[in-house]
Amino acid sequence: MKFSESWLRTFVNPDLSSAALCHALTMAGLEVEHAESTAPPFAGVVVGLIQSFDRHPNADRLNVCQVDVGSGTLLNIVCGAPNVAAGMRVPCALVGAQLPPDAEGKRFEIKRATMRGVESQGMLCSASELGMSDDHSGLLSLPADAAIGANLRDVLDLDDQVITIKLTPNRADALSLIGVAREVAALTGAPLTVPPYTPVAASIDDRLPVKVHAPDLCGRFSGRLVRGVNARASTPVWMKQRLERSGQRPISALVDISNYIMLELGRPSHIFDADKISGNQLEVRWGMSGEQVKLLNGQTVEVDNAVGVIADAGGVEALAGIMGGDATAVTLDTTCIFIEAAFWWPESIQGRARRFNFTTEAGHRFERGVDFSTTVAHIERITALVLEICGGQPGPVDDQQLALPARAPIRMRVERCRKIIGVALDKNDMLGVFTRLGLPVRDLGDALEVTPPAYRFDLAIEEDLIEEVARLHGFDNLPALPPRTTASMLSHAETQRSALSFKRLMAARDFHEVINYSFVDAAWERDLAGNADPVRVLNPIASQMGVMRSSLFGGLLANVVYNVNRKQERIRGFEVGSVFRRDATVVDGPLAVAGISQPRMLGAVAFGPAAHEQWGVRTRLVDYFDLKGDLEAVLAPAHAEFESTPHPALHPGRSARIVIDGKGVGFIGELHPSWVQFHGLSSAPVLFEVELALVSQTPQRLHQEVSRFPPVFRDIALVLQANIPAATVRHCLMQAAGGHVTGVELFDDYRPQKALQGAPASPQTGFAETEKSLAFRVVMQDTQKTLTDAEADETIRRMVEAAQQKHQARLRA
Amino acid sequence: MQDLNALVAEACREFADIAESAHLEEAKARFLGKSGSLTDMLKGLGKLSAEERKPAGERINAAKNEIEAALKLRREQLAQQKLERKLAAEALDVTLPGRTAQRGGLHPVTLSQTRIEEIFHSIGFDVADGPEIETDWYNFTALNSPENHPARSMQDTFYVDGTDAAGKPLLLRTHTSPMQIRYARMHVEQYRHATSMPPIKVIAPGRTYRVDSDATHSPMFHQVEGLWIDENVSFADLKGVFLDFMRTFFEDDNITVRFRPSYFPFTEPSAEIDIAFSSGPMKGKWLEVSGSGQVHPQVVRNMGLDPERYVGFAFGCGIERLTMLRYGINDLRLFFDGDMRFLQQFG
Repeated sequence: MKFSESWLRTFVNPDLSSAALCHALTMAGLEVEHAESTAPPFAGVVVGLIQSFDRHPNADRLNVCQVDVGSGTLLNIVCGAPNVAAGMRVPCALVGAQLPPDAEGKRFEIKRATMRGVESQGMLCSASELGMSDDHSGLLSLPADAAIGANLRDVLDLDDQVITIKLTPNRADALSLIGVAREVAALTGAPLTVPPYTPVAASIDDRLPVKVHAPDLCGRFSGRLVRGVNARASTPVWMKQRLERSGQRPISALVDISNYIMLELGRPSHIFDADKISGNQLEVRWGMSGEQVKLLNGQTVEVDNAVGVIADAGGVEALAGIMGGDATAVTLDTTCIFIEAAFWWPESIQGRARRFNFTTEAGHRFERGVDFSTTVAHIERITALVLEICGGQPGPVDDQQLALPARAPIRMRVERCRKIIGVALDKNDMLGVFTRLGLPVRDLGDALEVTPPAYRFDLAIEEDLIEEVARLHGFDNLPALPPRTTASMLSHAETQRSALSFKRLMAARDFHEVINYSFVDAAWERDLAGNADPVRVLNPIASQMGVMRSSLFGGLLANVVYNVNRKQERIRGFEVGSVFRRDATVVDGPLAVAGISQPRMLGAVAFGPAAHEQWGVRTRLVDYFDLKGDLEAVLAPAHAEFESTPHPALHPGRSARIVIDGKGVGFIGELHPSWVQFHGLSSAPVLFEVELALVSQTPQRLHQEVSRFPPVFRDIALVLQANIPAATVRHCLMQAAGGHVTGVELFDDYRPQKALQGAPASPQTGFAETEKSLAFRVVMQDTQKTLTDAEADETIRRMVEAAQQKHQARLRA
Repeated sequence: MQDLNALVAEACREFADIAESAHLEEAKARFLGKSGSLTDMLKGLGKLSAEERKPAGERINAAKNEIEAALKLRREQLAQQKLERKLAAEALDVTLPGRTAQRGGLHPVTLSQTRIEEIFHSIGFDVADGPEIETDWYNFTALNSPENHPARSMQDTFYVDGTDAAGKPLLLRTHTSPMQIRYARMHVEQYRHATSMPPIKVIAPGRTYRVDSDATHSPMFHQVEGLWIDENVSFADLKGVFLDFMRTFFEDDNITVRFRPSYFPFTEPSAEIDIAFSSGPMKGKWLEVSGSGQVHPQVVRNMGLDPERYVGFAFGCGIERLTMLRYGINDLRLFFDGDMRFLQQFG
């Protein structure tokens, strides 16, 4: 809410500077967002009276004015404004005056100057030259009673601060000058002056019948007819100024009065043109499906039975508590008005304006709660202003009270208050808080009983009162106690690895952590995750953030593209984050939402050279086995199996499903060549992702005796069909191995037809084209004795035989 | 025996001139070998009388010892020189960079989050995280924010195409506060049959979402929720804990923290927390870092606890905000660009 400080000070005028007043409001929960002077800084500008003027002898568009600034001698001032007139009072910048700084911040000083041969002893100013508005059409015309020679800042109250406060939704009572003033009075002890609500006697008997059908919508309806008003009367300058400084554009006298009262008293009202109400009566009810109304803002909306309306014989004429209709709006030709002030239940207004995609000052207030006790008093105040400005003959006030909020007394236990706040406040201090706030309070001994007034919708339970005590006592005045804690130890499972431990390992292996958005382009989900039915965001901020990701791959790939576009040639990133998948098997649980699985994943991408540019390592591109090595190191001590499996994002021959203990935990592979091409990448990024929960459990470590007997090493070199995976062969060897084999490690994969990475091929005899050779080192050891050669030989024989039988392998010559 | 001294001197001179071990051995033969000069002299002893023979023999032996010592010394010198030449030949340019010495790093948000977790862990707080797609009940209703209430419009909510058991649309959590309810209910359940319940002390960091995007707002950001519920945890304790938190996090005992009355449906009294630094580029400016307050009795009830017995505080703090202040980052968008040049600064 925006308002002028000087207006506020007409209600309460504490002995505080503007800055101190703003600070007090902020620290009471009425946060001051901005406070700035009405006009930018300038000095040396006074009220001048143009005594006379003559055409400049040497310039058609200039005049030479004789200006009285109260100094005893008239000033000779050259002026080019078209609206110059004798007898006009205007701002006059004297020689030496400082005008507001320009856009570059340069100050402008008025000097004695000669303009086309005529001396000018100052400058007559427009509003724009003083930074007060954009109006540069002519001299700013000042009121006829402005004292000649007086400082313009004083005359126009330009040092007045325009204060903008950010109000929390619970403080509807402070959405008015009187509301803020009440708060200031409570905070400072300065007396509060309330505006007069003197009843205006009826001079005619005319009434407008109003039938309220929905007391759950409208708890109270007050109204009054006024005939013979002059809608063309001009709004008084003081009212216009206050409206403008509160951010309201003056429109016409009747509209301005209604707006003024809303700002002054927090009372949204509506003024109908009574002659346009068809059937000469109104009804208040819930809307009916299909009913339409054209509103004051020109928008036509369709209502239903959840939206309250004011209607006449012709249909809906206003959205209750939100906005009036166009058909019955007052115009400059209006002569008979109906003033309405009602109490609308907050629940019946809440969310309604948002349905139509707008907000109004009235709706904003009613959905938070507006004083239900003062509708009649406020109509009296509106009537008084209407009569004063537009004239007219008022009818009697009609007031229907149907259902009003209860204002039950609330008990606040003194001890409970102390427990919540944490400080042994004196009961009298608590009493003082409620007294200063003007809330009726009774001392019950160990408790206080407060009856909330009709304008406070935020006081219903004990804690609401405790908050008032803490707030008025001042949060700054409460102690900050050092933390106290019971000394119980937190459990920590050694077998459970944290996300952070994975992150640190990834960082140690030269990956940088990224954080990507959880919502992605639907195309990523379709192309990179094969997900045609992603969880959609219903109101995304951009279409490329339209669906929830079910894989980290899209974001990681985007990281590569982003960095490649910035000339980064080697990119290694990882992310830990949740993905989202529809899953009917997920039921609501302590940490689960039915229908959607939200596992946390660890994903990584590597692109470009395997190692950073350096002197001692041959440059080569990162490949599948580099990233697989990183992954295996990070997963250790868990041991993963890799099963060749296609994945929509990955190269079908260079991708694998990652399996631990028979359970799929993720995927690894080179980006599919078509996506490499699609993104214009010079080589294929390699990616993996694993589900963290499935790889975070490690077995509890348990010591095993180290053998005192020497190990035996034997090598087996097998020749077999190249399409048999090495892991399958190793598994076969292990199964045949028997008890004292402690390790079977592959140390060579030789293919005469096709070089492996880094190993040049050479012609070799004795190999079929489809064959390869695998060489394994077998480590044997017994904890109880030294193995004999015969025992070792027998073991190797068994292993080779198994490979021969199962995979038609033969020993390499 | 003038020539004996001359012989020793000659041997020493000759050894010193020799630079190769092989030549040294040849020289040795000339003096000490079977037909060497000294051997010849020893052979000549037989011609002397018995009285003369003993002292002459001693002199010759002394000269032999001297020559042998000189020989040994020279041998060692040559060996040492040879080793030195070998080592010199093996010398490396030790200033060449180490092989593949690079390492990656954690995201600055993770750095902050980790610090926060460690700080609160040090006073006995557990760490928890929960679902990011949430139900209306956990995100709003359980936190005392009924439908249509103006408080809900304080946060612009992303909705997703799914519904909960009550038929309400699922949403992306707008804050980490749902974890207050989820964690507390798990805690209460765990101690349902115990004679007493330990305090609820937890922080819940994680991703949160709001419909907002500009230089100071991201549609996705991180919050950390703090919750401490016990039989006697007051607003003054909140002030103490948060002050300590800020001073520990920023490692600056001169930070000023102020609490300003505010409104959140799930706390009462509620406070916004501002901090101000006593030095640096932000000196003296009040910076909003957190919302906080005493947990609302209705929320305590929704946790499954009796608000008459259990009271406590909660706060929710933007992690990006703290990270920006800590590391001097001035644009929120940098966090989510994945720019390696930005991330490498935190390695």
